[in-house]
Amino acid sequence: MSRIPFYPPSGVYSDSYRKDMRIVKTGKQRLMAIAGLVFLAALPFIPGLNAPYHLRLLIGIGIAVIVALGLNILTGYCGQLNVGQSAFMMVGAFTSGMLNAYWGWPFWASVIPGGLAAAGVGVIFGIPSVRLKGLYLALTTLGAQIILTWIALYGVTVTSAGFTVEPVRLGGIVFNTPQKFYYVALAFTLGMALAAKNLMRSRLGRAFIAIRDNDRAAEGMGIDIFKYKLLAFAICTFYAGIGGALLVHYMMWAQLESFTLQDSVWYVAMIIVGGLGSIEGTIFGVIFITVLKELVLVVGPMAQETLSFLPIGAASGMMLVFIGSVAILFGVLEPRGMAHRWSLIKSFYRLWPFGY
Amino acid sequence: MLVISGMMNGAIYGLVALGFVLVYKASAVLNFAQGYMLLFGAYLFWFFRVTVGLPLVLAMIAAVAAGFAGGALIERLTLRRLIGQPLISMVTVTIFLSLVLEGLVSMIWGTYPLQHVAAFPESTIRLGKMVLTTQSLIAFGLALLAAGALIVFFRFTRIGLAMRGVAEGHQIMQSMGISVRRILNVSWGLAGVAATVGGILLGSTLGFQLGMSHIGLLAIPAAFIGGLESPEGAILGGLLIGLIESIVSGYVGNAAGVPAAFVVLILTMLVRPYGFFGLERIERV
Repeated sequence: MSRIPFYPPSGVYSDSYRKDMRIVKTGKQRLMAIAGLVFLAALPFIPGLNAPYHLRLLIGIGIAVIVALGLNILTGYCGQLNVGQSAFMMVGAFTSGMLNAYWGWPFWASVIPGGLAAAGVGVIFGIPSVRLKGLYLALTTLGAQIILTWIALYGVTVTSAGFTVEPVRLGGIVFNTPQKFYYVALAFTLGMALAAKNLMRSRLGRAFIAIRDNDRAAEGMGIDIFKYKLLAFAICTFYAGIGGALLVHYMMWAQLESFTLQDSVWYVAMIIVGGLGSIEGTIFGVIFITVLKELVLVVGPMAQETLSFLPIGAASGMMLVFIGSVAILFGVLEPRGMAHRWSLIKSFYRLWPFGY
Repeated sequence: MLVISGMMNGAIYGLVALGFVLVYKASAVLNFAQGYMLLFGAYLFWFFRVTVGLPLVLAMIAAVAAGFAGGALIERLTLRRLIGQPLISMVTVTIFLSLVLEGLVSMIWGTYPLQHVAAFPESTIRLGKMVLTTQSLIAFGLALLAAGALIVFFRFTRIGLAMRGVAEGHQIMQSMGISVRRILNVSWGLAGVAATVGGILLGSTLGFQLGMSHIGLLAIPAAFIGGLESPEGAILGGLLIGLIESIVSGYVGNAAGVPAAFVVLILTMLVRPYGFFGLERIERV
């Protein structure tokens, strides 16, 4: 994956490695970042943008970003394809939800065990990665999806029916409306994204990239590939578990139908559309796909009413055709993901008007 | 009895798995849309048989021809532009393609199951205590035949060899004077044919409904367990998966067959990472 080099404005020098690795390099970037954060924090109070519908969409995007970030760490950085991400999300969701609903653990105590449980299961399914690569490994994660769903459906009576989960509480505040939960989702999303960004520019992240680019060469350089691959699986599924735990406490209801194979495939699509091996790209991809999916849900039934002469399901079918075509077009025009285009735009902006 | 019915289902899985193998062998892309191409192919057959009212054999020929054209068209419109791009972007496009195909089917034919059409005579044959349907026998024979044809095709014909080359690398093949475009076009057309044949068989046993595409879920392990590069592996893998599925769900119940198939698959993968007949790639640094 070729990267567009960063051309800093005159006067900004990276005279040490530490400085070169900074996320925020210039004063303008710092300003923009602060402005962005203030905007996000104030969003529930901006009229026009603070409808519960918008906030619900944003919460959904936030949770999906967490899950997709984990997947991008495993697939984009470490090069191990995973098509069972939503099953790992389910493990975290049910662990956290059951701790809450049956043992009365508050959200803050059950979210980490949820993530850890998902990571534990993830490591088990990561073991075949010692010998398997590429598509063959993707298959074992597909197996994970099927097997875990089956266990949840027939193995545990609680999970097959679904159960209610308490909302998140902090002190006296109950986060039970979209407006309040928005802040929980925002805090978790930003925290997890920052953690991912930092992890990936550390020793660990460089080891992952080395394994992705050529695992034998990485082994030759002294990287214990088995250990790091399992670590990548653990981190990936930990993110999924946290995302799942957030989801059930947001919906206040845990059910199997939130975690299907289709969802797993969507997560893969999100990171590919956004850009493999890019934290920003993950966020772009999640937003792109979520908005497209939302279009189907909103416009589909509307079209069904106006085009009632067509067979049942035709309108939603049309929407499927539409979003599929848009996504295909996107894949054809921008095969390297939105992150690539983003860095092109950034460097265009920085070099303008002398962009050559 | 379980063994026999498992084998018969397995033959169909094998046939669908052949579609995966075909595209993979010719372009190193796992075609996620194969299940939906199957669905589309089946509905095409239904269209020619019921809506147009062609006789059975003609309808089949028409559907298969349309399947070839459809596959080639898909390649022409989407994948051709991705030649030379990372393979993963082709794989993603096939994911989205499955959306388009599913949408098209429900747009044209609706989401309800269609009227049943038998592609083959529905008679049964008794063998001692066992009852076989003619349909499953035909499916079984067809699967074997198709696998045999593909083995010969990939090993001995010029275009088959070129396809294997294209899977190895687009640039190399282009510099060897082989048109990557044409090869990819033909291989997607053939994948369309395989999907249509599988669709007709499946449609006449399961009924023409949207749920047909889920058969892809069981065909994927079949393709992998035999090795993604190997037609004979796909058939054997299909039979194996069919056997495991029917025996386990027969004795354990609770729809345990599919997860059990995956458990067996993962264990097999640990011992033989490239499936039973897959090409073992030796990597150099």
